[in-house]
Amino acid sequence: MKRRDAIDALVARSSGAVTVTTEQAIGAWRAAVPEPANEIPDHLDVVGCMGSASTIALGIALAQPHRTVIIVDGDGSLLMQLGSLVTIAGAAPANLFHFVFENGVYETSGSQPLPGEGRFDLTEMARAAGYAESLRFVDATRFSSELPSLLQRRGPIFVSVRTEPEDGFLIRSSAGTKLEQQVHNLRARLVGTPS
Amino acid sequence: MASDWSPSRLGSCSSSETEYHRGVVQAEPVARPVSAEAILNELYDLRISHVINVPDTHQRTLLKALSQQSRIKLLTACTEDEAIAINAGLWIGGLRPMLSIQQVGLLAALNNVKALAMDARIPTCMLVGYFGRDVSLTARENPGRGVNLIEPTLDAWRIAYFPIEGPEDISAVSSAYRHCLEHSGASVVLIGAPTA
Repeated sequence: MKRRDAIDALVARSSGAVTVTTEQAIGAWRAAVPEPANEIPDHLDVVGCMGSASTIALGIALAQPHRTVIIVDGDGSLLMQLGSLVTIAGAAPANLFHFVFENGVYETSGSQPLPGEGRFDLTEMARAAGYAESLRFVDATRFSSELPSLLQRRGPIFVSVRTEPEDGFLIRSSAGTKLEQQVHNLRARLVGTPS
Repeated sequence: MASDWSPSRLGSCSSSETEYHRGVVQAEPVARPVSAEAILNELYDLRISHVINVPDTHQRTLLKALSQQSRIKLLTACTEDEAIAINAGLWIGGLRPMLSIQQVGLLAALNNVKALAMDARIPTCMLVGYFGRDVSLTARENPGRGVNLIEPTLDAWRIAYFPIEGPEDISAVSSAYRHCLEHSGASVVLIGAPTA
């Protein structure tokens, strides 16, 4: 499926949730919401952390157990900290939904193929790590139709979203990200006071 | 050096002093154990909500004590990168986390220290054990790079550190935690000897 179709579906269903995106998802998410970059409410664009977006989301989910937390990860990013699957499953946050967009390449560095691309199965790895559920979607229509019920389930839930490589489309999509600003704005919104 | 990151007690410990006892040269410890209970009481006083750890040999009695109480949640991560990221998320969500890791793990996770503690200015306080340290020598005098390069590395990164070389240094925990909050960044408590 096209990444933008999957992102549009997620944006449409993410009302009330804290959302975290990284790498390949950042530009598509920005394109799908009306707010300018760095000013999207209850949202973080995580850059520069080499696979840490999902564990940042884990911390938020544990601190805010009554909020749904949606992390939109990338396959290359997850592979940088693959043990995080076990850490997340061990902490078992019921409110965490871990979407991993799998395009099979390191898009932001020029779409080089992932090591072992086509030979590993992240969905099975997440299931074996102990996620409450682990699902895979390759079709945008089915993904969009099943998303509402999926987000009602008890987490942590892992969702592989197979997308087509879009070489060049979103390279440097994270340009202009001000993580410090986003972090402190989000904390102020969640806690109610400036940090 | 800027005063806000200068170590509180750097260089205050004597170098390897020796004593002769029954004909054997015995090195007097430079670093002496601090009790897990003392550290735990500091964490209670600071209202720490979570300790995120990647198990550290030096702090095993502290980790055991943490596992036997319920006021502070003990989370275990697979890597120090993950621990720093979880700390970030917990702080963003309004809680008061702290880390417990080993010094080589700190080296492994420096990119996340940079990205989250320094660039994003997220308070990140780390209890760091000196695995493999010869406690009869100061850290800088230890022969192993994994020990003797830690303080110079923290100096180079301008990360504040607060050594605990004995029970009298226990206030380093609260000093380090206050520092990370006041400066919105990283701070390190260097635990010189295995906790008792």
